[in-house]
Amino acid sequence: MEVELRFFATVREAVGKRTTRRAFDPGATVRDALADTETRVPELEGRLLADDGGVARGITVMRNGTNVTHYDGADTELADGDSLSITPPVTGG
Amino acid sequence: MSDTLPPVYGGKILHVHLDTGETETEAIAPEDARRFLGGNGFVAKQVAEHVPADADAFDPENVLAMAVGPMNATPFQSTSRGVLGFISPMTDGFFDSTFGGTLPQALKTTGFEVVVLHGRADEDSYVLVHEDGAEIKPADGLAGAETYETCQEIRDREGVGYDTHVLANGPAGENQVRYACLVHESEIREGVAGRGGSGAVLGSKNVKAIAVQGGEFEPEPAGGLRGRSVQQMGRLMADTEMLQEYGTAGLVNPINEMGKLGQRNMQTERADPDDAEAISGETLRDEYVTEDTTCANCAVKCGKHVSVESEGVTEAKIPEFESLFGTATLQEVYDIERVIKANDLCDRLGLDTISWGVTVAFARECRERGLLDDNDSPHLSFGDADGLVELARKTARREDFGDDLAEGSFRLAESLEEGAERYLYGAKGLEFAAHSARGLKGMSIGYATATRGGSHHDTRPTMQYDGHHDETTEGTPEFAARIQHFTALGDSLTQCRFVSEGGWGTEINESYTEAINLATGWELSVEDVERIGERIYNLERLINAARDVADRDADTLPHRVMNEPISDGPAEGMYCPPEELDAMLDTYYRFRGWNDNGHPTMDTVERLDLADVAAAVSE
Ligand code: SF4
Repeated sequence: MEVELRFFATVREAVGKRTTRRAFDPGATVRDALADTETRVPELEGRLLADDGGVARGITVMRNGTNVTHYDGADTELADGDSLSITPPVTGG
Repeated sequence: MSDTLPPVYGGKILHVHLDTGETETEAIAPEDARRFLGGNGFVAKQVAEHVPADADAFDPENVLAMAVGPMNATPFQSTSRGVLGFISPMTDGFFDSTFGGTLPQALKTTGFEVVVLHGRADEDSYVLVHEDGAEIKPADGLAGAETYETCQEIRDREGVGYDTHVLANGPAGENQVRYACLVHESEIREGVAGRGGSGAVLGSKNVKAIAVQGGEFEPEPAGGLRGRSVQQMGRLMADTEMLQEYGTAGLVNPINEMGKLGQRNMQTERADPDDAEAISGETLRDEYVTEDTTCANCAVKCGKHVSVESEGVTEAKIPEFESLFGTATLQEVYDIERVIKANDLCDRLGLDTISWGVTVAFARECRERGLLDDNDSPHLSFGDADGLVELARKTARREDFGDDLAEGSFRLAESLEEGAERYLYGAKGLEFAAHSARGLKGMSIGYATATRGGSHHDTRPTMQYDGHHDETTEGTPEFAARIQHFTALGDSLTQCRFVSEGGWGTEINESYTEAINLATGWELSVEDVERIGERIYNLERLINAARDVADRDADTLPHRVMNEPISDGPAEGMYCPPEELDAMLDTYYRFRGWNDNGHPTMDTVERLDLADVAAAVSE
């Protein structure tokens, strides 16, 4: 299945592009997508996933616009055609 | 109970009578410092004591009170803000509006924690405050001058450069545009007291600017405030990365991803991602930002300057997220260069970009629906970027249709055919900020019960974006109330909210309590500190109840928020129907100890040690 990864702010700076499409095996989770990104972008190593495998404290992840805290966090299963937005948390404003 | 004032306070209130030129000094009672802390709490008390409940915002009996917090000019991070308190020409209720820069710290060193302007000057004037008191000086030649120009001119007249810290009115405030703001141009960052019409109130007093020259007073914290502040630095810098790099404009893309960023006067809440990108913090940083700017004592440096050669804009203040909502997405204008131009102009003219933008978007929808026509203004089409610049100029001068826009959307709706009110977006006469009243449940109840109506600094959206109380009403009324305590406390410490939320926590907690105790030498518990915030919020409510602008009927949301679910995007279907709001209000009032009509009961007034001030309010 294919998922669109969308990057914002300092995460985008590290990745070097706005979006990318990645293929994952059926049953892949948010954790798999974050781990895959960390592997491909060394600058992000340890920044997307916490030691316990959850989403790191300094990161907000949205699946199709909904914060994954409303699903199963890093265990949230992805579906074909999903978009996953990865951003530093929304502060200020 | 302590009966001496901790030496972190300068200890004095300066009353300036604009009609006679006389000034007087009042000592701050130690018990009042304990009860109201500073800043927001102090100005609320001044308004309660000095403004009769039947005085209009433009009546000389209204006051404009400016205050700082106990920890300004100490190592406690980013207590760089000042707060203005007044009766608002938008809401007819109590309003407090904060601003950053360097003026507040300078005021602290004069030893005056509070300066209260009473009455009305006979001639156009500016007020100069220094450690010996205040002088009322003629503002000859400044009529019609823009904000930055006024700051510069007063600095030149006083002859000590940026050591004269100026908060200035623009033409909008002079013309009593109801939501006119005040602008402070410091050496290191601009500060704007944006909301509620502080500029209009100052204009009604014939005062063009307040200028401050610092003095010798040095606040003395009781304990190791520096060390305690250093401990929070790591967390502060890690959690405010977005602000450091992109300023608040960094919020555009993520909030648009959530489908909670109003477009076209809130007809939808998600822009095409390419449109959002065009006005985003990322685009601003890549193409327009020239340097970081900062308030005093702040490592975050969220301020930025931007330049746009094609528009002749050089080193202007970056449009904040809220301004991008008001002047870009709500207008369906994604031409960032024109948006920067319009924002710079609003800052120069002294227009609150939120109230002005929401009012223009409201007028644009009214035209679309046949309630206004092209004879009213040729610039009332969504997407008209050039029209923004023209409308800003006309609003500040109250020229043609600008005179209607200058009244704000609620008064404009009243002047139109029935049905126009269906397109309003605000509460209690004040337009909402960018944080969705439909897509964030905490904002639904938070806005409805806000002292200031459409303010995002009563209940905060920050935790909601993190997934707390955004989609559920369970526990949300209590959450909204407790965050209102948090913001009242923060604005009484006059700490920058971004630094406080990023570095110290999004709720009242042990860290704030420790810092307050280190500053004052008091031995407060977390509950005591929470009670200070609760007391201040209740005092604001008492002022507004006496003015008949705060009760169950007033605690409401606009038609669209209660009747039209978000039409598409990730937040599709979200809104706050009347029965949901009603149920949340029941819980909220019960939690607060207010009666069914939303007024604090006598038991609550006594529990919060407010009986004396409540009596003053109702006199
Ligand atoms: S975070 Fe921004 S607004 Fe707050 S004190 Fe620092 S520079 Fe000023």
